[in-house]
Amino acid sequence: MKRVLLLIPTTSYRTQSFLTAARELGVDVTVGSERPNVMADRNPEGLLTLKYQEPKEAARKVIEFSHNYPLDAIVGVDDQGAVLAATIAEALSLPHNSVASVAAAQNKHMMRRLLNIARVPQPSYRLISLDEDPSEISNEVPYPCVVKPLTLAGSRGVIRADSDVEFRAALDRLKGILRMPDVASMRGDSSSRHVLVESFVPGKEVALEGLISHGKLKVLAIFDKPDPLDGPYFEETIYVTPSRLSHTLQEEIIFCAARAAEALGLERGPVHAELRINQTGPCVIEIAARSIGGFCSIALRFGNTKFYTKTVSLEELLLRDALEMDTTSFRREPQAAGVMMIPIPDAGVFYQVKGVQEAKVVEHIEDVIISAHLNETLVPLPEGGKYLGFIFSRAGSPEHVETALREAYARLEFVIH
Amino acid sequence: MDEQIDIQAQILTEETCQFTVDRPVYPEGSVYFASKVEAKGSPLAEILFDIENIVAVLVSGNIVKVTKSGHENWGPIAKQIGAAIRDQLGSGGLAIADTAQPDLPGEGEIKEKVQKLLDTEINPAVAQHGGMVDLIDVKGNTVYLQLGGGCQGCGMADVTLKQGIEHAIRQLVPQVGDILDVTDHASGTNPYYTPSKK
Repeated sequence: MKRVLLLIPTTSYRTQSFLTAARELGVDVTVGSERPNVMADRNPEGLLTLKYQEPKEAARKVIEFSHNYPLDAIVGVDDQGAVLAATIAEALSLPHNSVASVAAAQNKHMMRRLLNIARVPQPSYRLISLDEDPSEISNEVPYPCVVKPLTLAGSRGVIRADSDVEFRAALDRLKGILRMPDVASMRGDSSSRHVLVESFVPGKEVALEGLISHGKLKVLAIFDKPDPLDGPYFEETIYVTPSRLSHTLQEEIIFCAARAAEALGLERGPVHAELRINQTGPCVIEIAARSIGGFCSIALRFGNTKFYTKTVSLEELLLRDALEMDTTSFRREPQAAGVMMIPIPDAGVFYQVKGVQEAKVVEHIEDVIISAHLNETLVPLPEGGKYLGFIFSRAGSPEHVETALREAYARLEFVIH
Repeated sequence: MDEQIDIQAQILTEETCQFTVDRPVYPEGSVYFASKVEAKGSPLAEILFDIENIVAVLVSGNIVKVTKSGHENWGPIAKQIGAAIRDQLGSGGLAIADTAQPDLPGEGEIKEKVQKLLDTEINPAVAQHGGMVDLIDVKGNTVYLQLGGGCQGCGMADVTLKQGIEHAIRQLVPQVGDILDVTDHASGTNPYYTPSKK
């Protein structure tokens, strides 16, 4: 039986999805996390503790492990494990992206540099040191601009500024975020004293979910983001697929994302890209060597066009790809689908949620998951790094999906003090 | 029987294909046959072993998982297997013998063994993270567990359950079928690990 090493950080939303997918495929699993599991002694072949911040040392440990338990694939389920997965796969001579390409996808400045070299459309940008005098830089920045940390995900720490006053305030706020314990503990030295300032790109935003095989991008889904993302913070809310943009525009988006992936040197595995579209065409906001985050992947299901009719999850498709099993005959289901990431409206302690059952019975709503736990202290963007929960919908058209998501959300009430 | 039997086949690996039937094949639980000898008395399993290169059959509820040797495409083999399942269920006869699990311990014995394992090994381990695991019930060879404390709503609960607790239970009682988590994780108020977007 084949064995896969799943690199699952203890903060992952996707633990259950990947373990279920592995079970569906009938493969043995070893879970590698950054902290020891309390049952690790009971199942040493199934549970490993690995230092995510020290990939080479972790790779040595996995090589030793693989002498007793040979591994057929290494899968980093989230951004955090992507570089480690590439490092281990390289050490074991398993198929993988180059470590440099994955590292570039994780660092916004490295990504911008490579996209710039390849002339892929993107915002103008500048790397600034937190040690520079903000009042000097603020005179040189084109407004409106967006201040970003180099390595955080999910719009955390991303702030728009329309003037020099806002720019200095944004920079101060970002410095505070970078000092937060959970952020400081995961950041490497190279990114700790620098942030990125980019020009704000107006327009509609889409997310592209893809799978690269032998350097060729296969698009799994293009999600429209119908809520405007104009700042000052960039809270993701609704994703709906298929896209309602014209076929021609979607082709341009795919072409642009494929060029971005190629510019970074990504040759295989999942890719998640976010692009803005305006009168000048698509522009790459971000591209990452991972699949869609949070619980959002639940919105995606894939059927096999060749032989069997049971749909499979995105996670199963990713495991199939990593294990070099067939993925070519899978297509996203014909139904429209969508997810709403429920934003955290206020800082405070989460005491109660009302209306979940009422939200679940809205037509075309499949599920409502409240992922924050009661009594949890919630922090909204840009400081926060969590969602309150997720709403899922499937329907005959993207319009029906979007309407259902909005109606279900309207029925929820969160008590936060 | 004229009623159509719907079967969905899913190739899991080159060697394994899973058939999901629209009705129970073996409602009593799970049974694994590693040879035709073991399948004796269970008509469906016997027929499946008559198909060339079939080396193992697992029947669990409405799922039939078949393992083959060799590199032949699943297409024609899956068709044979699907036809065999339809014929057997359509005949109205028994698919799997009631005695297919002669070594299956009784529910009481499983309960006793699992409870002892929880008390002596698993609960002391998960208590390190403020967690606890309760045995809710055993029905047939299905074990129902409930997680509490730091395990309830924990982002790594599924890892601890599937990679740790399940593994320990199966080592102790290999005949155990499904191990189901009946915890209301959404109501957890103090999970040890919580997910976040890093």
